[in-house]
Amino acid sequence: MSRGKKFFLLTTLTLIALIAVGQLNHHADPGGPAGQGNGTVLNATKAATNNPLGITKVPLSATGMQTLANNVAHVAISVNFTWLLITGFLVLFMQVGFAFLVTGLTRAKNAGHMMMMNLVSFVVALMAYYAVGFAFQFGGIAPIANLGGTSPLTSMFGHGSAGVIGLHGFFLQSGNTYDVGVLAFFLFQVVFMETAGYIIIGAIAERISFAGFLFAEVAMGAIVYPIYGNWVWGGGWLSKLGTSLHLGHGAVDFAGSGVVHATGGWAALALAMLLGPRIGKYREDGTVRAFPGHNLGYVVIGTLVLTFGWMGFNPGSTFGATDLRIAIVAVNTLLAACSGAIIAMAWTNWKWGKPDISMTCNGMLAGLVAITAPCAFVAPWASVVIGIIAGMLVCWSVEFFDKKARVDDPCGAISVHGMCGAWGVLAVGLFADGTYGIGWNGVSTSALHGVQGIFYGDPGQLGAQIIDMVVGFIWAWGVMWLLFRIAMRFIKTRVDPEVEIAGLDEGEFGQICYPDFVLRTETDIGVTHELDAPVGTSAATPVTSE
Amino acid sequence: MKMVIAVIKPFKIEEVTDALNKLGVSGVTLIEVRGHGRQKGHTEVYRGAEYRIEYLPKVRLEIVCEDADAEKIATTISESARTGKIGDGKFWIVPVETVGRIRTGELGSDAL
Repeated sequence: MSRGKKFFLLTTLTLIALIAVGQLNHHADPGGPAGQGNGTVLNATKAATNNPLGITKVPLSATGMQTLANNVAHVAISVNFTWLLITGFLVLFMQVGFAFLVTGLTRAKNAGHMMMMNLVSFVVALMAYYAVGFAFQFGGIAPIANLGGTSPLTSMFGHGSAGVIGLHGFFLQSGNTYDVGVLAFFLFQVVFMETAGYIIIGAIAERISFAGFLFAEVAMGAIVYPIYGNWVWGGGWLSKLGTSLHLGHGAVDFAGSGVVHATGGWAALALAMLLGPRIGKYREDGTVRAFPGHNLGYVVIGTLVLTFGWMGFNPGSTFGATDLRIAIVAVNTLLAACSGAIIAMAWTNWKWGKPDISMTCNGMLAGLVAITAPCAFVAPWASVVIGIIAGMLVCWSVEFFDKKARVDDPCGAISVHGMCGAWGVLAVGLFADGTYGIGWNGVSTSALHGVQGIFYGDPGQLGAQIIDMVVGFIWAWGVMWLLFRIAMRFIKTRVDPEVEIAGLDEGEFGQICYPDFVLRTETDIGVTHELDAPVGTSAATPVTSE
Repeated sequence: MKMVIAVIKPFKIEEVTDALNKLGVSGVTLIEVRGHGRQKGHTEVYRGAEYRIEYLPKVRLEIVCEDADAEKIATTISESARTGKIGDGKFWIVPVETVGRIRTGELGSDAL
């Protein structure tokens, strides 16, 4: 049997198994098929402390009041559902931005491969997250007040403050999770996981084999992303640092600078290190060769689409529109994006003589990534500061990884998402001003202030953020490195040098993105000479699988 | 018969075309090419890493004509394509053994 036939059968059987296992776990839906059970007077008042629909007038009878209150509560919960779903769709649209961004930043001969990776990362990681990832991450999260109802996501491995992995919601059915609240939450969370999933594409571009890429995506969706995500967002041990060690409000990461972006960035670092640089990236005399991206227009379109999508990413992370903090979140997000872009533009103009288009785009994304964790907790001025530092950090970091660390990262994924994601996590511990997040992660302080950074008097919060940042790096980099290193023993994770030179479109798919054009450029002509150099003498010698 | 070949700056195409039309030149072939002269290419920076653009984009014109017209055509191209700055390009004239029109099968001067 051919390998292709085997792969087809394996895929089909896996999908059938997914259906069968899901069906076996079938239980009744606790919220009712249309979610009538979501939104009673009790959880609505809990959900909406500043709800303009708050109950003030009492109707004629007690029964009438009860009915009215239930209806009002149901409307509030419905508004939250709508908000959660719409912002989830916006985050889904970020996939388009990423496809444009990373394809534009790479060479035309690999454009089809880049686009295919963006498509397939979505479908493969989504299925992995559906099967196990979501349960690992959120199987033990407490009920979410903004979504009402009684959440069945209640089972966690590890008691109290030591939760490490969730156990309800495998195939979205185990443990009564066939429920409107759970599925709305799943939609919002799966697109976040996809974001971490496609971040890695930027760093593995132009040399990873399609098989190696598929493995990395499954690892991302099933293990690397959800388990760390559980620790910070799913009620796991990092979120409990506030109650267990009295470190502020525990690890606070509003929309995922750490959970989504740093995880993606550090996993990308592990993959880029294992794959080695693209052929010709480092000349024999040690100098760095630039491989200019083939379409800067795509890069700018992608960046603007991502910025638009971020309007779902951050404001949606309230899980509801009844929390009017969404306005502050949205504005803070834009402030950081623009200040990051401005600084990157000025920095590259100063250092390299002209403003660099793709680095200005990276600066914008750096600001967005960095503000993602603190966006709900900081004042507008602090957002600008966070964006400025992110913009400088990304410019420094791209040169550092390119020239000093010699990790070949074609799209700057490690710098934008890893470095600036870590900075965002840290920034919460510095700039959070205590106006929002009272009772966050179950921490109640006597002064009843929200999440407070060290500049506002809570050094414990900074401690929690540093622990979160370090643990995030060790987990994402370490686990992805280990898994991919093992995979390298069994599958071919990097394409042959001939395929890399000719372009992955041709070698991996036999289809070319731009068949009507001659694509060879002088940068490629230089590279082909190095292919003839004796193996082992060139810095470009790729790490190959055994 | 002769062939006049000229390599010029791409943005000069319109002026050169107008001048050649005024002269009454009937057939011109234009090819997009890349190359460099004495000044060589130049260095640019992309995301902090320097790279050389060794071959600059140019267009190459080819015109087959009678012996007597060759010099006039070459001068016209030279004058209309000139900016006075480096990289204006070159022209040269080579002998052509014969020329034929594919549609009719005519040969020599009739085919021009």
